[in-house]
Amino acid sequence: MGVSNKESRQFNEDSMEEDDLEDVSEPESEPESEDEEDVKLTEPSKKAIFNRDGLLDKLGDISWPENAGWVHKLSVDIDQEQQVDVNDDLTRELAFYTQAVEGTRKAFEKLQSMGLPFLRPEDYYAEMVKTDSHMERVKSRLLVEKKKIEEADERRKARDAKKLSKEIQAQKLKERAKQKKEDIESVKKWRKQRQQSGFAGGDKGSELDLAFEDGKPFEKSSNKRPGVAPGDRSGGKARQGVKVGKKPKKRDIKDSKFGYGGRKGSKKQNMAETTNDLRGFNKDSLSGNKKRKR
Amino acid sequence: MGKKRKHSEAEAATREKKEEEVAPERPKRTLSGWKEKKDDQVNQTESTTFFRNKEKVLVTCSRRISYRYRHLMLNVVDLLPHCKKDNKVESKSSNGATLNELVDLKSCSSCMFFECRKGKDLYLWMSKCPNGPSVKFLVNAVHTMEELKLTGNHLKGSRPILTFSSNFDKDAHWKLLKEMITQIFGIPKEHRKSKPYHDHVFVFSIVDDHIWFRNYQISVPHNESDKIARGGLDKMTLVEVGPRFCLNPIKIFGGSFGGPTLYENPFYISPNQIRALEKKKKAGHYVKKVKAKTRRKMHELDNPLEADEFSEMWKE
Repeated sequence: MGVSNKESRQFNEDSMEEDDLEDVSEPESEPESEDEEDVKLTEPSKKAIFNRDGLLDKLGDISWPENAGWVHKLSVDIDQEQQVDVNDDLTRELAFYTQAVEGTRKAFEKLQSMGLPFLRPEDYYAEMVKTDSHMERVKSRLLVEKKKIEEADERRKARDAKKLSKEIQAQKLKERAKQKKEDIESVKKWRKQRQQSGFAGGDKGSELDLAFEDGKPFEKSSNKRPGVAPGDRSGGKARQGVKVGKKPKKRDIKDSKFGYGGRKGSKKQNMAETTNDLRGFNKDSLSGNKKRKR
Repeated sequence: MGKKRKHSEAEAATREKKEEEVAPERPKRTLSGWKEKKDDQVNQTESTTFFRNKEKVLVTCSRRISYRYRHLMLNVVDLLPHCKKDNKVESKSSNGATLNELVDLKSCSSCMFFECRKGKDLYLWMSKCPNGPSVKFLVNAVHTMEELKLTGNHLKGSRPILTFSSNFDKDAHWKLLKEMITQIFGIPKEHRKSKPYHDHVFVFSIVDDHIWFRNYQISVPHNESDKIARGGLDKMTLVEVGPRFCLNPIKIFGGSFGGPTLYENPFYISPNQIRALEKKKKAGHYVKKVKAKTRRKMHELDNPLEADEFSEMWKE
């Protein structure tokens, strides 16, 4: 590996020189670092050896005699139509795939013309590159993936169906309301027409019968009074008596003393008079608390 | 048992000797200048009528190779029935001489050596052994055959169809690489471990100055008959088998595992260097801080603050 060591040293030297150059031009920033993210040098180094004659010589050395026949090589050259972007995985793999497909087509034609067997017959069993157990694992993984996709699909479908049904339901309700409105409208119209045509008031009974058409559809029977409990036999009169009756006298006195209603804040505050007014205090208690004395 | 083995060894030795005897003749018939010599050509046509590919590839790796790369190597071994796998070789001592000796010992004509450095960088050496050229690649984007997303499968030892992208004929070094790859990856016809059918394709494609490798299984819907119908070829699909890797050529040497450098990749940066630069970038923070501090200090020394006129006011 002496050669490779040398080579690496050489590369190091290259880089050192480059760094120096960079330092001279722009001492503060380090713009070269971003370029190094890429695995390639941006421009070819000039020191690189390229011995074309030597290479061709070696090629002549190792290559097989020219009439060795294609069967020995089995190699096919395929034109690559356009440049492939390396970082775009999909197009790159597609390019490789198309190359392989075209290659097999060509090779197949050649082999066919030579009368050689191409694909393995179905009943030819032999050792494969990947073992059966490995293929089993591959298969199981594929199945699991398929199942996952199916499940996700089902879930999505259910979700969609739910959304749709909700919408339909809303639509239905709307339609029903509209229908009702229309019905009422039509009846009103019909009645107006009837009034105009001279039947106005002529037939009161029928009008009373159709009272609900005025927009208040159903009125509960008037038997029921508001504010009466369902089990109240007196019809709410027992409670009314208590409520409406006169205020007791005691209440009046208390109200005058403590106040009734209104804001409490202002009443409870001390003012100049109230602070000096000691009427409310018991004179006995000033002499001292008996319990405390003990 | 022992006797038998000795015998076989002896045989091998004699075979080697024979090969050695044959070896000096080889350059004569394959040198580029053979066209002028008429009698040589006659000889050659005679010999090539019986052209027989006797390629044998030795596949080894260095010690302390990571499992992923080891699996890659084993996959390559699976793909090439004409290869011989050997024990790991000590990386430090694996200079050209020992490897050449090893190849000679195994009577192989070419060698693939997977060299792992620092447990993360994989280098692949391909070499034609007695005196052919050798190449050193950096291997990137490795996916082994064991990965479950690659669903194809094919016969072990069936001969692959090698497809090359047309830009292999662009330059001398690509031509050389193509020749080496065809010789190493092409399975010799009528090799005793090979099978007479073709059910997979190797793709070697140069994109972005890297050689990308793919291996596809050819799958055609079988009709009742064994023959593929004409329409069957249109329905042909390929399923990837793996492994995948991407070779970045670093250098081409004249000899095997050494010798004069014939080619050097002008764009190549070693992964060590990339890592070092990254580290350097990170290391810059502290240095910057220290620099700023010293600069500030110098600035303060250069421009001292004026004494405050009121500072003595309360001191009387």
